[in-house]
Amino acid sequence: MQVEFIHRPGNTAATLLLAAGESCTTESGAMIAMSGQLDIETTTHKRGKGGLLKAAKRLFGGESFFLNHFTARSGPGEVLLGTALAGDMMDYTLDGDALLVQAGSFVACEQGVEIDTTWQGFKNLLSGESLFWLKLSGRGKVVLSSFGAIYPIEVDGEHIVDTGHIVAFQETLEFSLTKAGKSWLHSMLGGEGLVCKFKGRGTVWCQSHNPGSFGMSLRPTLKPRK
Amino acid sequence: MKAEIRGSDAFSYVDLTLAPGDSVVAESDAMSSMSADLDLQARFNGGFFAGLLRKYLAGETLFVNVFKNNTKAPRSLTLVQPTPGGIRALELHNNTFYLQPGAYLASTEGLKLGVGFAGFVSWIAGEGLFRTVVKGSGTLWYGAYGALLDKEIDGEYIVDNSHLVAYEPGIKLRLQLAGGIFSSLFGGEGLVTRVSGKGRVVIQTRSLSGLTGWINPKLS
Amino acid sequence: MSFKVSVTGYAQADQVAARAAFATAFKITPEKAAELLTVLPRTIKVDLDQATAQRYCDALLKMGLTSAAEPMQAAAAPSPVPPAAPAPVAQASPAPVMPAAVVAPEAEQPGFKFTIEGAPDFAFLTVKLPANHTIKVEASAMATMDTHIRMKTKLGGGLGRFITGESIFINEFSAEKVPGEIGIAPGAPGDLGHVYLNGDVIYLQNGAFVACDPDVTIESKWQGFKKGFFSGESFFLIRASGTGDLWFNTYGGMIAKDVDGEYVVDTGNIVAFTEGLNYSVEKFGGYKSLFFSGEGFVCRFRGKGRVWIQTRTSGALLTWAQQFRKAKSAD
Repeated sequence: MQVEFIHRPGNTAATLLLAAGESCTTESGAMIAMSGQLDIETTTHKRGKGGLLKAAKRLFGGESFFLNHFTARSGPGEVLLGTALAGDMMDYTLDGDALLVQAGSFVACEQGVEIDTTWQGFKNLLSGESLFWLKLSGRGKVVLSSFGAIYPIEVDGEHIVDTGHIVAFQETLEFSLTKAGKSWLHSMLGGEGLVCKFKGRGTVWCQSHNPGSFGMSLRPTLKPRK
Repeated sequence: MKAEIRGSDAFSYVDLTLAPGDSVVAESDAMSSMSADLDLQARFNGGFFAGLLRKYLAGETLFVNVFKNNTKAPRSLTLVQPTPGGIRALELHNNTFYLQPGAYLASTEGLKLGVGFAGFVSWIAGEGLFRTVVKGSGTLWYGAYGALLDKEIDGEYIVDNSHLVAYEPGIKLRLQLAGGIFSSLFGGEGLVTRVSGKGRVVIQTRSLSGLTGWINPKLS
Repeated sequence: MSFKVSVTGYAQADQVAARAAFATAFKITPEKAAELLTVLPRTIKVDLDQATAQRYCDALLKMGLTSAAEPMQAAAAPSPVPPAAPAPVAQASPAPVMPAAVVAPEAEQPGFKFTIEGAPDFAFLTVKLPANHTIKVEASAMATMDTHIRMKTKLGGGLGRFITGESIFINEFSAEKVPGEIGIAPGAPGDLGHVYLNGDVIYLQNGAFVACDPDVTIESKWQGFKKGFFSGESFFLIRASGTGDLWFNTYGGMIAKDVDGEYVVDTGNIVAFTEGLNYSVEKFGGYKSLFFSGEGFVCRFRGKGRVWIQTRTSGALLTWAQQFRKAKSAD
């Protein structure tokens, strides 16, 4: 499978090029368009793996219960994928390692990738991040999305990322909730509140913008609920 | 200090590298990521009273954050505005620049932020009675929803209220109807701002009210 | 007889390399090349003599692309997007030329002079109106203008727009006595498309209209109950016909696809399409996919023409925006 992106980082679309016989798994609702006569199958799990339990867990991970599988049976084909909100996309090739992915950021993966949901502890309750994260492992390409531009940070030691700005990180990193700077008071007064501190060695991918902040700036002029 | 604006017009953000001893002032909650050992101090936005004024009158926050590098090596900091859109850097050399409410993002310590009376025009236009006045010498970062465009004014020009971001001191604002009474009521344009004088105005190519105006009819 | 050259497929396994070679040869960005070659066959050059067309095919094969040179149909209907001005290419060399399909707003063509800035995410249209000329603009979309431009509000767009929540008013801006300029910003964040209509017809999704020449007729067209119902978008489309400029907008990035055969697009991602295309609304995959895939119904286009696609859908944004709405009582 080859992956190409267009319109980065504003309203990125991914084109997945499938050679004859290849297939891919995508988040439901992500398809924009497709060519040729691709086979489509909708299941609760990756073909031959997991089942209802994993699908239910994925719901907690902020993803949908169902996944779509596209297979290029009769010749090469392509699928165009987009996301719900404006934003960027990235791809990453897993080679036996694992990524932890923020809820809602999974877009697509190759066959050899395992999708699971992990519990990251109660700290997530406070952080405003989701309680469960997707864990992607195995071998193959994955495609992830964000709200805002994606920028990687190579952590070697400690680095702080504001809550709401994490897209994914390598499993080799550990994170904890803390304050920004030395003082809790200043972190609260300055509107930063709780932040995530990453420790160890590895990459964390951040999204430049926080969808919650954007939503709150729309709130004053958004039509109220009936 | 090194600063770079990345993410294109769609999602501009400011990547800063602070040398030892450097500091930068930023709007509340503007930090998206930073080196863990940068010091952060919240302070009133231009003093207690000025801070209050700016919060209630100019649509900014009561506190700003000062990020300071007290270590012995360069440290990184990423700043961003709450909405998608463009961010600009502007060097001021002992001059003044006016920002519409909400446009301020960050500045170096040499700049002073104040609140200025923008006239009743601005108030009726729904933009608030006051504007942020930036004075002094240093770098200012400001931004808005949409891409930012410059327009050199020499004479008069009409800008829809929700699209004005910033302007130079040589510019005056005046309010008027977009068309006749019928057009202004039904044409969706309503009041517009007539800018006059000589200088630069900065325009945003989208507005939050335009976005919600597009969303709202689709919401049940 | 003139010939056209179409890229029909890949001559090598490495599609990315072929696209890169194509991008280099035609002096376009790799992104643009990827976009152009997403749907095949893709016509890249028209109005060539047979020998030149063959040279193009040979050059394309070296890049790793298969292609075909076909005689063009006599009396072909004018393409809705005029091919880039017939470049005075030296006969002898298949010099790389911008593929005809690339949307080049600054291309020399009839109509108003205009610029598009802030594309592709927050595209902003500035139109230069000659003296005593008028432009029709979607309500609320004017962002800037010269002080002597006069605005009039007219009923327009038809009943369909009223039913679907668009404004039933369209504003007319006129440059009285001297030329003037107007800056136009649609509400939705996205890109702008432009076509110069020359007697042909384009269908727009209901919210996609931005501005047009007064000689372009904008009307609502009933899609038919089944298509409207299943497309989940709207029962109406905008039918634009006549002569002159037409601008439309997308929510999200824009991808223009030349369809020759069949192409499937999610109903929420369709922005516009040319009249030559037939479409049917059908379910996505099997019945299980219909209900659970999150795609629901898709549009299958058949025939020859162009469809403009947006990379985001308003439906997904609306779902996300729900959580930020205030309760009515708090207002």
